[in-house]
Amino acid sequence: MALKDWINYADYSDLQNFAYYPYETHNIVYEIGYNLYQVLGGLIAWIIDVLFPNNGLSTWLMSGPVVNLFAIVNLALIIFLVIFTGVLVSLWQERKTLGRFMDRRGTQIGMKGFLQCVADGFKTFMKENTTPKKVDKMGYTWTLSLVIGTSVLVACMLPLSDRFYIVDYDAGFLIVMAIYALAPLFILVSGWAQNNKYTLIGGMRAAQSMISYEIPMLITVCAVAILAGTFNIGGVVAAQNETMWYVIPMALGFIVFFTASCAEAERTPFDLAESESELVEGWQTEYAGMKWGLIMLGDYLRGFASCAMVSLLFLGGWNIAPFVSAEANAFLPELVQLLKGWFVFFLMIWVRASLPRVRIDQILNLGWKVLTPLAIINLGIAVVLKTGGFF
Amino acid sequence: MVVENTIDTFDAPPEERISRERFETDQMWIYMGPQHPFSHGLWTLKIKVDGEIVTDAEPVIGYLHRGWEKEAENRTYPKIIPMADRLCYSASMTYTHLYCMTVEKALGIEAPDKAKYIRVVADEICRIQSHLMWLAAMGTDLGNLTIFLWAMREREYWLDLNVRLCGQRMTTNYPRIGGVRNDTTELFDRDVLRVTELFEKRLWDIIDMIDDSSIYVSRMKNIGCLTREQCANLGLTGPAMRGCGLDFDLRRDMPYSKYAEMDFEVPVLQDGDAYARYRVRIEEMFQSCLIIKQAMRKIKALGKNAPYRVKVPSKVPAGRTFCKLEDPRGESMMYLVSDGTDKPYRLKVRAPLFTNLSASKPMVKGCRVADVPVVMAMIDVCMGESDR
Amino acid sequence: MAMKYLDKYPRSTAKTLWVLKPLWSTIKLFSKTVVRRPVTIQYPYEKEWLPDNYRGRPGLRFDMCVGCGVCARACPTGCIKMIEVPDDDGKMVMRPEIFLGRCAFCGYCAEFCPTNAMTVTPEYELAEFYKKNLFWGPRRLNFEDTTPEMEVHYEVTLQSDIDAGNPERRVHVFDVDNPVVKEDACIGCRKCEKVCPVGAVTMIEKGLNERGKPKLVPVFDHDKCICCEQCVIDCPKSCIHIEEAL
Repeated sequence: MALKDWINYADYSDLQNFAYYPYETHNIVYEIGYNLYQVLGGLIAWIIDVLFPNNGLSTWLMSGPVVNLFAIVNLALIIFLVIFTGVLVSLWQERKTLGRFMDRRGTQIGMKGFLQCVADGFKTFMKENTTPKKVDKMGYTWTLSLVIGTSVLVACMLPLSDRFYIVDYDAGFLIVMAIYALAPLFILVSGWAQNNKYTLIGGMRAAQSMISYEIPMLITVCAVAILAGTFNIGGVVAAQNETMWYVIPMALGFIVFFTASCAEAERTPFDLAESESELVEGWQTEYAGMKWGLIMLGDYLRGFASCAMVSLLFLGGWNIAPFVSAEANAFLPELVQLLKGWFVFFLMIWVRASLPRVRIDQILNLGWKVLTPLAIINLGIAVVLKTGGFF
Repeated sequence: MVVENTIDTFDAPPEERISRERFETDQMWIYMGPQHPFSHGLWTLKIKVDGEIVTDAEPVIGYLHRGWEKEAENRTYPKIIPMADRLCYSASMTYTHLYCMTVEKALGIEAPDKAKYIRVVADEICRIQSHLMWLAAMGTDLGNLTIFLWAMREREYWLDLNVRLCGQRMTTNYPRIGGVRNDTTELFDRDVLRVTELFEKRLWDIIDMIDDSSIYVSRMKNIGCLTREQCANLGLTGPAMRGCGLDFDLRRDMPYSKYAEMDFEVPVLQDGDAYARYRVRIEEMFQSCLIIKQAMRKIKALGKNAPYRVKVPSKVPAGRTFCKLEDPRGESMMYLVSDGTDKPYRLKVRAPLFTNLSASKPMVKGCRVADVPVVMAMIDVCMGESDR
Repeated sequence: MAMKYLDKYPRSTAKTLWVLKPLWSTIKLFSKTVVRRPVTIQYPYEKEWLPDNYRGRPGLRFDMCVGCGVCARACPTGCIKMIEVPDDDGKMVMRPEIFLGRCAFCGYCAEFCPTNAMTVTPEYELAEFYKKNLFWGPRRLNFEDTTPEMEVHYEVTLQSDIDAGNPERRVHVFDVDNPVVKEDACIGCRKCEKVCPVGAVTMIEKGLNERGKPKLVPVFDHDKCICCEQCVIDCPKSCIHIEEAL
């Protein structure tokens, strides 16, 4: 058989007939992953077939379940790489923008400073990977992987468009928030397991602040869900496209959610878990080399996820604007979502450049006495708007 | 952590046992330093914390001891001036000034008027750049890097003035026994008033960032409080003292050089907290600008040909001399025992920061861990002069 | 005179809307720096302008130097050493060699130089790969574009002049000070004549010593003398000292 026979390109209409297609709607990432495997796997299958004609392996490689398996592997890789690149861009954006806020230049090495991320990655790889003698090995290693893992999961679970997602599920934001809320526990355990006083205090602080900021965040998500009538992420975005961006009726909710997500992502006004002026590096003190690099990556992934959530909840997600025609909205919605996320990240950088770190008692006061009541008022506004028939 | 007093409670009656079984939390010592982001320089602040509250503290210094005073005994008098530069990186001008004043007093000579005015200008430039350095460090201690870079940007202008004046940015080596190294250059005369006027405008940007931000103000208010009595007992000097309500400034009350002719105010605040110390320092920068303007006017009136340096003998007559001056951080004093040769027999430096650091225990007691950098930033730590 | 800052602050933070003022001032600067470049100087590519009196490494004008060793004695860190090098005619002369690894850039060598052969230079990029390269010999210390501003003049006014109402007269320290010999103690060893870098010492016969032989004593030519104290240091009987004019 010729090479052409092994490779079977498919677009969405063909994929619908594919017996193992796991989605109900069009998923462009699966399509890319499927076609990618068709090219690579088909090539391998053809070579094996040329060498050993009529063997079973080639047909097995190109059979439905195997194709589906590798297509899903490709899907995971592509989604992670896209999010990863987005995070690197936001890292670069932070460096350059923060520099301009401070009247300096930021990084300048390679591609206007973008390659500095790569250099930093290599640097952390090259560093000696030390583990202190007296740490609790189990807690030390596992909590680290879990913190990073949940961060990656949260960042990847948020869709970039209605065709760029992993799972389309009705509990949407609830699941995301649930995974988001797991990290404080791991940070607390990690701070304890490192057997260091700075990490202990840092872990406690992280747990305190994150738990107190989960609540206004969740209430605000609920308010959005009341307006949209669904927790489904695509549903919320579609509802905003029909009416208006929810930042307009719920400006209060936007501010509350933005502040709380700054705190959730441990961005600077609220980064007291790793406040370097008093706690050296907070709960990350004992992590060396690439472990620390991964923690930094996890931090930025959480920041990126926060920004993506703000964009999805309040800024209309991947649609450019409600009054823009459907054809214009359909042009690269992923890029629109990323740009909106980067815009929100710019706001976070702005806040970081302007404000000093908040003390732990002040952050708790702010969380419980200001943001939570405001979030409840915002919920009331949402209920009034919904029952009043405006949405 | 739950600690049950098991030994006591076993033989106690049941009713009492219940009352004795209470939650007790362990207090722990945290060593902040010597290599810690909050300690500007090498020193350790041991703090005892109960959760987040600091219950006890103890400063440990000596990591930067260089044997300065012993080293000074082996050098001739002019050779100590570059060493006095290196006592404190941001107060080099005042320390060299102090040293030269001390030796002049021992020699019984007076520097010419012009040299005194130039020294006043140089001192105030030094004070402003030192306060800007403190402002920058304070910004990082509070977790905001923007203040750091903005203050450093302003500081560059003052360091450039130092270059115009004597050719070096920080280790200036400018005052001499009996005068100053060189007359003011034309570039300096031209630039100093420009920089002063520019700075008076641009400092408001930084003030806007800090005083109009409720987070900054709430971080600094009501922490690190000292009363007037505590302050006097601990021997605090400088802006840290004036923030506690003690109205004393050597420049006004025991004027040296030409400060008696200058018209300026000494800011004093009664609050005694970190915010008061911050405000005293900011106001001092404005007052320093005023002094510079006045002194430059006087230098201009003296004319280009006025003497700026008199010839001094190389040997200092035997005796004991004591001299003090208002440093950016407080009162620095020097005690010189001379034995008639061209080398000092003993040169003792009383650095303001050495005593100010001893106030760290009453200041941080009762604060939270997060307040420790803020409180300690307000006394403007510089280890070069305290360890010597 | 009023306080400039304390009169205005503290303001109520509620009036300035808690955190909005700092947010406004940072975004103001951001919009400025996006248009014009930030103030950073890209150091290796662009450099700050330095005035001529900038105290970088010391520079030496070989021909003006007389090899008196004042710089070596004035150096607070002791990084200057007098070494013998051939001059343009091949004659061996004493010239300073500087170990820049120890130099504190205080400028004393230029300040105390009697002939102003030593200057300060605005050169500050001095890093080397090997320690031996940090020893700068007299020829290497030469700085091409030496301008008169790079000289540091040790000009002083005498207190006696000020008292006499003549404060504008500036003198060089080495012009007014003079070496004086105690003739009783002098043994006429001619050491001072040999070490004098400018040839200001001549030995003359003056009187008789206790054994009735003619006695040699140094006589100093005050116009030539630069008061470098070389004779004071090398005198085996310590019978020369510097008389300071005040």
